[in-house]
Amino acid sequence: MLKLDALTYHHTNGQSQIYEFSMHSKTGQITGITGQSGSGKSTLLDLIAGFLLPHSGSLTWNDKDLTPLPPEARPVTILFQNDNLFDHLSAEKNIAIGINTSLRLSAGETKKVRQALNDTGLEGFGARRAGSLSGGEQQRVALARALVRDTPVLLLDEPFSALDGETRATMLDLVGEIAVKYHRTVLMVTHDERDCSAIADQHFTLSNGKLHRV
Amino acid sequence: MSSFSPLRRFGISFWPGLAVGAALLCLAGTIFAQIVILPQTTTVSAALDAQIWSILRFTLFQAALSTLLSIGLGTALAWSLFHQRRFPGRGALISLLSSTLVLPTLVAVLGLVTVFGRNGWLNDLAEALSGHSFGAFLYGLTGILVAHVYFNASFAVRGLLHRLEAIPAEKFKLARSLGLTPWQRFKLVEWPALKGTLPSMASTIFLLCFTSFAIVLTLGGSPKYNTLEVAIYEAVKFDFDLLRALKLALAQLAVCAFLVVVASGLRASSSAIAQARTPSIWGEPFGARCAQLGITGFCAIAFLAPLAAVLIDGLQADFTKLFAEATFRRALFTSLVLASASSVFTIAIALALGFARRNFSVPGRIPASWWTPVVSRVLAFSGTLYLAIPSLVLGLGFFLIARQFAGPLNFWAVIALLCANVLMALPFSLAILVPAMEKTALRFDKLCFSMGIRGIARWRLAEWPFLRADLGYVAALAFCFSLGDLGVIALFGNQDFATLPWLLYQKMGSYRTHDAAGIALILLALTITVFALVPRVFAGGRDAET
Repeated sequence: MLKLDALTYHHTNGQSQIYEFSMHSKTGQITGITGQSGSGKSTLLDLIAGFLLPHSGSLTWNDKDLTPLPPEARPVTILFQNDNLFDHLSAEKNIAIGINTSLRLSAGETKKVRQALNDTGLEGFGARRAGSLSGGEQQRVALARALVRDTPVLLLDEPFSALDGETRATMLDLVGEIAVKYHRTVLMVTHDERDCSAIADQHFTLSNGKLHRV
Repeated sequence: MSSFSPLRRFGISFWPGLAVGAALLCLAGTIFAQIVILPQTTTVSAALDAQIWSILRFTLFQAALSTLLSIGLGTALAWSLFHQRRFPGRGALISLLSSTLVLPTLVAVLGLVTVFGRNGWLNDLAEALSGHSFGAFLYGLTGILVAHVYFNASFAVRGLLHRLEAIPAEKFKLARSLGLTPWQRFKLVEWPALKGTLPSMASTIFLLCFTSFAIVLTLGGSPKYNTLEVAIYEAVKFDFDLLRALKLALAQLAVCAFLVVVASGLRASSSAIAQARTPSIWGEPFGARCAQLGITGFCAIAFLAPLAAVLIDGLQADFTKLFAEATFRRALFTSLVLASASSVFTIAIALALGFARRNFSVPGRIPASWWTPVVSRVLAFSGTLYLAIPSLVLGLGFFLIARQFAGPLNFWAVIALLCANVLMALPFSLAILVPAMEKTALRFDKLCFSMGIRGIARWRLAEWPFLRADLGYVAALAFCFSLGDLGVIALFGNQDFATLPWLLYQKMGSYRTHDAAGIALILLALTITVFALVPRVFAGGRDAET
């Protein structure tokens, strides 16, 4: 279980803002978080992913304190709206880098990459350069990498907001399938409440620096 | 009913620019004729001799090596500065590195000699610590490379740092969450962002080093290390061998024209916007941090020490004696008048060319026709003539014109200096002004057309408030380029007609080091003052936003 207990962060860039986040999410559960621009959605994900350090409170995964861990050591994979891939590498290499950053894979690991490509509907796309893929295909590659990383928590920072309606619905369905099939705990921040109602098991809104259950 | 004519509406911004462009091309044609067509009977039959080939080979070799070293060190320093955002004085160091563009070459050379020369600080330190010195390594190829890297690595840093700053923060977060090592991060995140700009940056640096004159003249040390420009200078000034000078100038023109054509095909990838970012809370791994701090510290010392040397030595000069010298006072006056005139002419020509050029680049102005690409190219090329015709070749052309026409040599010297200085500043001025002018056109065209605002009224309301800051920068740039240049004046300079860089060169050559240090400090102080003050005066204490 991912648990945030009075996780506090003081934003001092420009306007001063204090955030205090409390929530928990069970294994395999999808949590949707909505809020207006600047409400702190990305700050919340940055705290969980380790890009920001909280000033107080606790952040645990299965009762293990995550705050002293650097981003790469946390059981977390994050998907952004853009810039999830290395454009000059192939789709397959972008996925493989989730297993071994030197891109030297064993036969078993290569098979795992192929499986992730299949699971995300990217059969035949492995050799294509990431920069030549459409927005939806790029996010599928990023999701495929999240699968091979085997981290139990998947953070989605408005990853589908730039996609057209149909592609977006397909991607949301794919996230739902992944959460069930791979038992991933998913935290998705979005400014569109429809995304939450489409796949989320629980829904929070962020306002005045705090999470409120809907 | 009369039909709408774009040329009638835009004529006021079109014809002056076209006239200026045509005049510049005529000037280039006249110079070209002096060097290529008029002496045809002697030059075409005479093949380039082995010595000229050897000079050409060395010129290309030192330019290639200088470019490689400048890009290498520039990349390492930009990478280090990017990751060490809390390095003490980081902002000031970046500003100083950017200022090398306007730093008078001879001032920096004098500083480099004081620090790295035979009796310089470095050798004194080495002697005191180990009893051995590095000797006179700052002359010949090493000296040329050190000085070229000093100027061009600094020039490269700003552009490369800007590229790194433009990488989306998400890429670095991704690299961090994947656990990439600093080398893997460089390979996968930073290098792809940098490599788009390297070919155009390298070609610019190569051209600057290929046509480098003052550095090679002062630090080359022997004819073995002559470049084409220095060989032209020596052929005219010392041997008065005009045939040889013409052959060298032809070789220079041919290579420059080839390089400009190649360089024009190497455009930097689309412009990048720097992103606000905060330092990573986890910092860099120990090894990378040590490397970054080491590179930044070394470069900061190597860059600042020569400037500090100019300041320290300059303060020991006898300024009363210096100002009592009539030659010095004349040189100071000539330099200031020429720099001011260059500044005014550069602004006027850049504005004329810029206004004409934006008629072709801003949608809704002059519609595309068979003649528009031709005129557009003529306008663009006329602003970059300096890259194809280096100042010493230009000077040689005027030298030949002066021999054919009546009038004192000093008259032609002033014309040659003004032309060289304006042409030198134009490519940089247009690169700054044209995008700003296009922005004002895009923003205000419809409003001005609908309200009938044109001419002076348009300039006052919709151009000047938004261009004034950039115009101030261009004015300062042109002034400083002119103030520090030792190109054409090397051919025309004499006791009656001197500029400060020419006088500084004479003092350095006659080992009057205190006087040289004093002049260098005055040049440095003038450059810094003008560069700091003029843009502020133009901006009126505030930055206009388009």
